[in-house]
Amino acid sequence: MESGKKILVIIPAFNEEGSVGKVVEEVKAYLPRVDALVVNDGSSDLTSEIARSRGAIVMDLPFNLGIGGAMQAGYKYAYEKGYHIAIQVDGDGQHDPREIPKLVHILEEGGADVAIGSRFIGDSEYKASVMRRVGILVLSRAISVIVGEKITDPTSGFRAANRRAIQLFSANYPQDYPEPEAMVLLHKCGLMMKEVPVKINQRYSGESSITKIKSIYYMVKVLLAIFVDCFKKRPVLKIGG
Amino acid sequence: MLIKFQIIIGLMSLILLVGTFELIRKGRLREEYSILWLFTGGVTLLFSFWPQFFLSQFITRITGLYYLSAVVVVAFLFLLLIVLHFSVVVSKLADRNKELAQRHALLELELKELKRRYLPPDTISP
Repeated sequence: MESGKKILVIIPAFNEEGSVGKVVEEVKAYLPRVDALVVNDGSSDLTSEIARSRGAIVMDLPFNLGIGGAMQAGYKYAYEKGYHIAIQVDGDGQHDPREIPKLVHILEEGGADVAIGSRFIGDSEYKASVMRRVGILVLSRAISVIVGEKITDPTSGFRAANRRAIQLFSANYPQDYPEPEAMVLLHKCGLMMKEVPVKINQRYSGESSITKIKSIYYMVKVLLAIFVDCFKKRPVLKIGG
Repeated sequence: MLIKFQIIIGLMSLILLVGTFELIRKGRLREEYSILWLFTGGVTLLFSFWPQFFLSQFITRITGLYYLSAVVVVAFLFLLLIVLHFSVVVSKLADRNKELAQRHALLELELKELKRRYLPPDTISP
């Protein structure tokens, strides 16, 4: 973590004025040498102003692109500004910035291109509805089969990417269900991913946008999307950068 | 009976063809998107001029369709092609739209940073 690498924390936020300020503050407090980029995905509230006032770099998208488009914009910034590591953290505050060094450590020592914070390995106290758990379980099994290694938390948006992965994501980032689809993309491009146990802030994690009945529907759509992804043409990765 | 259909279909094809040409001429329809429309108009026009050819030569022999049904089926197939083509076009546009929005946001951020660094603070508009 102290190796002098340029590290960027990407925080996509859509109408998160209630939590984005706190997320930026926490990142700045625990990781003073790291830059925080808030990608304001066309919010109609004060997300942008609050984030800026707390010292984050703020990129305002002209209109709402969805989480995939916002994340990709963040990766483009990271790529063009020469960051060595980019970390994606949700703007709703469910990811604890104190866990970031664990992700970075896996990139630096574990030989992975992408580190994924998993709620389901180790001593996790993460609680979710039964339907959500079933949905995530089916998805993780499917993705484990596709990528050929054990994946426990395919929907986790708490991730760290090295320069190679930043380059890939800046040019190619899935739009519809970016978290699970990005895993398939990484596998297709031969990049390594590794899961790391992380703690999730319970007070926020109950407020997910995916509710009970929707979680089954969501699972089916994601399964379809990753199935289609398997047949997509592999994007060409430029060497270097 | 056949003559009546021929006239109706011929008129419809002509309207389609003239309409497409007009749109291209006024610059409201780009050539690349008009080819399928012109083709549809052209084929149905051929149907009205020369129904015997289509009826006796292949379509009826292969499919057993009557004149009007044959025209409808062919026109419908072209419409399907056109709709598919449009879906492809819309996807491409949506993709470019996304790229533009991202590029716009990156440039705006860069511009703000440059202004902050090189312009005296009082010249920066909020």
